[in-house]
Amino acid sequence: MAQMPALIPKEVEIQRLKKIWLIVIAMGSVAASVEVDNFVDGSLHQTSIRDSAFTPAHWWLYTHFVALPLGWGSAAIYDRKVPVLRGPNNSMNTGLKMTILGYLATMFTIGVNEMWHFWFVEEIFAVPNHWMFNMGVVVAFIGALAYVVRVYARLVELGAETPGENPYVAEMYKMALEGKLYSRSIP
Amino acid sequence: MTLPKGFGSGGSGSSSADVEKMIGKRVENMTGIITISYIAAWLATFGGTAAGYFYYPWAYPTNSGHYAFIILTIIESIGYLFCVKVMEEGTKKNSNGIIAGVIAGVAVGTILISLFVGT
Repeated sequence: MAQMPALIPKEVEIQRLKKIWLIVIAMGSVAASVEVDNFVDGSLHQTSIRDSAFTPAHWWLYTHFVALPLGWGSAAIYDRKVPVLRGPNNSMNTGLKMTILGYLATMFTIGVNEMWHFWFVEEIFAVPNHWMFNMGVVVAFIGALAYVVRVYARLVELGAETPGENPYVAEMYKMALEGKLYSRSIP
Repeated sequence: MTLPKGFGSGGSGSSSADVEKMIGKRVENMTGIITISYIAAWLATFGGTAAGYFYYPWAYPTNSGHYAFIILTIIESIGYLFCVKVMEEGTKKNSNGIIAGVIAGVAVGTILISLFVGT
């Protein structure tokens, strides 16, 4: 990755990266909450096969799958203020793009899921309408990891964070700073 | 340094006032809003789980609701702790007392709710 010149003062960039960090921590908590609801919803469906869209386990799941793309979308809006986080051709950061697309997939799957269950009442984990929930989350997690490491590595580069002492982790930060963590050609 | 439109006083480069203007509210001064957000999230969590065991007791026993409430409170508390500590690191600000007090209060509230609220 071509190293971008410092377009904003260092102190400004650190403050902006930390504001992004706040959103990231909040979204991480929401994602952890969704994981808990996987078990809550799953255990409910083992006893009552299919109830309705309007049960607390579904409110919990669905509100989070709306909150996640919106929350990461707000990160994308603010992300524009940090030049070093730009993606290819001055577009959105690739990791952030993947995160938003992944969670958008889960959000649209809410509708797909409800249409499916309008006709078929079974609630087996592996039915096709659930696939995009799981694939969306996996894509989002991969993207979020790339983005989070990029933000953290930049904070390390700016001297606002201490790099990892584990040599393997330190190597990962180094690769992220060089733009080689998830691609050798896409910044 | 070239600054964005609206900053700088014309040819003299950036001043500390310009930098402060670009930063806006500093993250180490956001402990108040982070704390309010955490407490609001915790209350919303109580509301959500209570809706489960008050309106759907056939599907969501009170014990299950309390279990979810406790787990989510722990997740939110870790997030709150991370937010405040990361925002204040590298500065002279220290809100350990506020964090300890708020999390202790939430812990006591969680225990009391788990003991006395439900069906």
